[in-house]
Amino acid sequence: MLFSSVTFLYYFLPAVLILYFLVPRFLKNTVLLISSLIFYGWGEPKLLFLMIFTILMFYFCGLMIGRSAEQRWKKFWLVTSIVISVGLLGLFKYADFFIDSFNAVTGLSIPLLRLALPVGISFYTFQSLSYTIDVYRGNVPAQRNPISFGAYVALFPQLIAGPIVRYVDVARELNERKHSWEDFCLGLRRFLVGLGKKILIADNFALLMKLFRESEGKSVLFYWLYAVAFMLNIYFDFSGYSDMAIGLGRIFGFRFIENFNYPYLSKSVTEFWRRWHMSLGSWFRDYIYIPMGGNRVSKARWVFNILTVWMLTGLWHGAAWNFVLWGLLFGVLLMVEKWVPALQKLPNWLRHGYVLLIVCLSFVLFNAESLTQAVTDMGGMFGFAGVPLVNAESLYYLRSYAPLFLMGIVGATPIVRDTARKIGEMPYGVALEVVMMAVLLIVCSAYLVDGSFSPFLYFRF
Amino acid sequence: MNQKIRSFGVIAIVTLWALLTFFGWFGPKQEMSEAERRPLKQMPEITLETLLNGKFMSEFEDYSLDQFPLRDSFRQVKSLFHYYVLGQKDNNDIYIADGYAVKQEYPYNPESVDHALNRFSYLYEKYLAESGSEIFMTIVPDKGYYLGQESGHLTMDYDAMFASFEQGMPWAEFVDITDTLSAEDYYRTDTHWRQENLLDTAQKLCEALGVAAPQAGDFTPAALERPFYGVYYGQAALPMDPETMYVMESDLLKDCTVLDWESGKNNAVYDMSKLESRDLYDVFLSGSRSLLTIENPNASTDRELIVFRDSFGSSIVPLLVQDYARVTLVDIRYIQIDVLGRFLEFNGQDVLFLYSTLVLNNSSTIK
Repeated sequence: MLFSSVTFLYYFLPAVLILYFLVPRFLKNTVLLISSLIFYGWGEPKLLFLMIFTILMFYFCGLMIGRSAEQRWKKFWLVTSIVISVGLLGLFKYADFFIDSFNAVTGLSIPLLRLALPVGISFYTFQSLSYTIDVYRGNVPAQRNPISFGAYVALFPQLIAGPIVRYVDVARELNERKHSWEDFCLGLRRFLVGLGKKILIADNFALLMKLFRESEGKSVLFYWLYAVAFMLNIYFDFSGYSDMAIGLGRIFGFRFIENFNYPYLSKSVTEFWRRWHMSLGSWFRDYIYIPMGGNRVSKARWVFNILTVWMLTGLWHGAAWNFVLWGLLFGVLLMVEKWVPALQKLPNWLRHGYVLLIVCLSFVLFNAESLTQAVTDMGGMFGFAGVPLVNAESLYYLRSYAPLFLMGIVGATPIVRDTARKIGEMPYGVALEVVMMAVLLIVCSAYLVDGSFSPFLYFRF
Repeated sequence: MNQKIRSFGVIAIVTLWALLTFFGWFGPKQEMSEAERRPLKQMPEITLETLLNGKFMSEFEDYSLDQFPLRDSFRQVKSLFHYYVLGQKDNNDIYIADGYAVKQEYPYNPESVDHALNRFSYLYEKYLAESGSEIFMTIVPDKGYYLGQESGHLTMDYDAMFASFEQGMPWAEFVDITDTLSAEDYYRTDTHWRQENLLDTAQKLCEALGVAAPQAGDFTPAALERPFYGVYYGQAALPMDPETMYVMESDLLKDCTVLDWESGKNNAVYDMSKLESRDLYDVFLSGSRSLLTIENPNASTDRELIVFRDSFGSSIVPLLVQDYARVTLVDIRYIQIDVLGRFLEFNGQDVLFLYSTLVLNNSSTIK
């Protein structure tokens, strides 16, 4: 089920909220678990068993890690949880990629499995792995209540597109959380802001990208419009989803971690990754990079560590070579930034421009359906595709989408947030805020009703 | 104070949300969308099979969208926001220029033109090549021809389309009617042209056909009582006023009978039983019909005309009939070319191909 659907907004969510706030405290996690399974099963009825199996497997392994007195048994259960979950992830997400690559290299024709990719599998697998690893490390006790644990793994607000919430961060809230009217108001506000980012901005950029792909009259300008549109589309889509998740979490009494911090303001690629999909970056840092030795190793080993982590980061986003290259590109750039400190002394505008250009080009690679398409798209941006600089079609879309580009660019900076805060501090500023919330609800619903419906980008990860 | 205002505001929003939810769940269900001219989805059947294969879920999504309370008003809100706040130049490919709702027909589709040309050539070879008929071809430009470029919107390559048909139908005389039309000759909310404004166009066609041209004095424009909301009214979902539809009445047309070959019934040229139909334009020759024959007992000659046409033909053909004893209208979107010979004999009648750019650029419906 998508947040940006009438089914979610006007059927599922109201029913869950009524039920959740009606039942006594000890049943709240049960409501969350059952509703989360319905939420997941709505789109993936046949893959519900995989979710339930994942919950039971991690619950059991966590329990066994907690109960085992000997380290080797703790390790055994940890490794079991890792092997099974990563194995399932590999089977459903990466098997065909590896078979396809193997066939290409060897000339064999091993048939592909063609398994359906379970929605959100990368998110809930990583999330669950953080649980057994943290229990193994002794950072948090094992969860004894299967309902509470199931509610954590399947929690619908962040089930399919993050943020990747670690068990240790919500362990206390799972058992004893507070609900307040203020949290409800602030959560609702955050949810509606996210809904607006997704439906009004990201989905409209998605429409331009579709028009670009269908166009037979491309130009250099159109290639750039597409590249910038995708850059804004992916930011508003993904950060909008995170906003909705964080807002819903707050309504239900959880405080999820932030996932974005205005990444397009960054002046280095290193900074960009501290601001973009922060929950994934910190997950790789804490559970892969540091256990591999981090940067407290020889230079050669450090290079290996960095490239491994970034290749995995790329692969996490998708089972295709363009994602691997995309991850490695960032790994290399991070090393270059570390090795060439003079880069930090360049003028701010130049550093900022460099990050935006790199990120823009990297997303062209990211969004390509094949490496060939990525090369064509980048070639088109720099005039190597044999297309005119501008034509009537690209000028039309530039004029048509100029206000949206302006909104997107301004919205990717803290200007809107800061202005909203200042207005909120003015007399009756809050009145304007709630009017804006109502407008967002009505306009977003209007877009949905009119058929402006597209799946969240990050579902496929 | 701010806290109180926020609480009051959130309560108002939650109430609005709850009301929309309540009426979505329990409100009356609509059968049809008049604005979009399509049936609306009803509550799907729940079975174990439809639950497991996900069919129920996907159908429920459609149902929830179609049965959303105040659906048309919400669609209007979206259009207004899209058009005026986001500054988009079109909404669902419809734009407003000089008060006219126009479909942005872009780009030019050469494959579609080739398909239409192939079908016309096949028809010519099968029935017309040996018939001794004089054949004419005219293309009806859509509103975008007159409004698109001026308003900064995308338009198809009309010159390329016209040239393709002129060159691709060497057996037909091409009649260019673009200079007889302007934006005012079309309905503001619909694709079609206004019959009462087509005398110039009809005169040009009659001159080419070599028959007497209709004169303004021959007709009396009669307004239909029901307001006309054209097809773009629903698609654009923007606030637009309804229009008045006129039909050009004459004694000659009143004496004509129209045989509908599908039903075997005889109707009038202006079929007033269609006044209650979803599309008021159906008043002209009963709307979309595959094969019609107009018998004109008061014709000054015994000449006959066959018109291969789309819906634009329905309103202009009544202005062409006065010299023809019989006019047959054929819509090869609804009847196979191969079976035409069972109904019609091609023996030297005048033949006119009359198609709009909209159909020619999306010609897959031509059989």
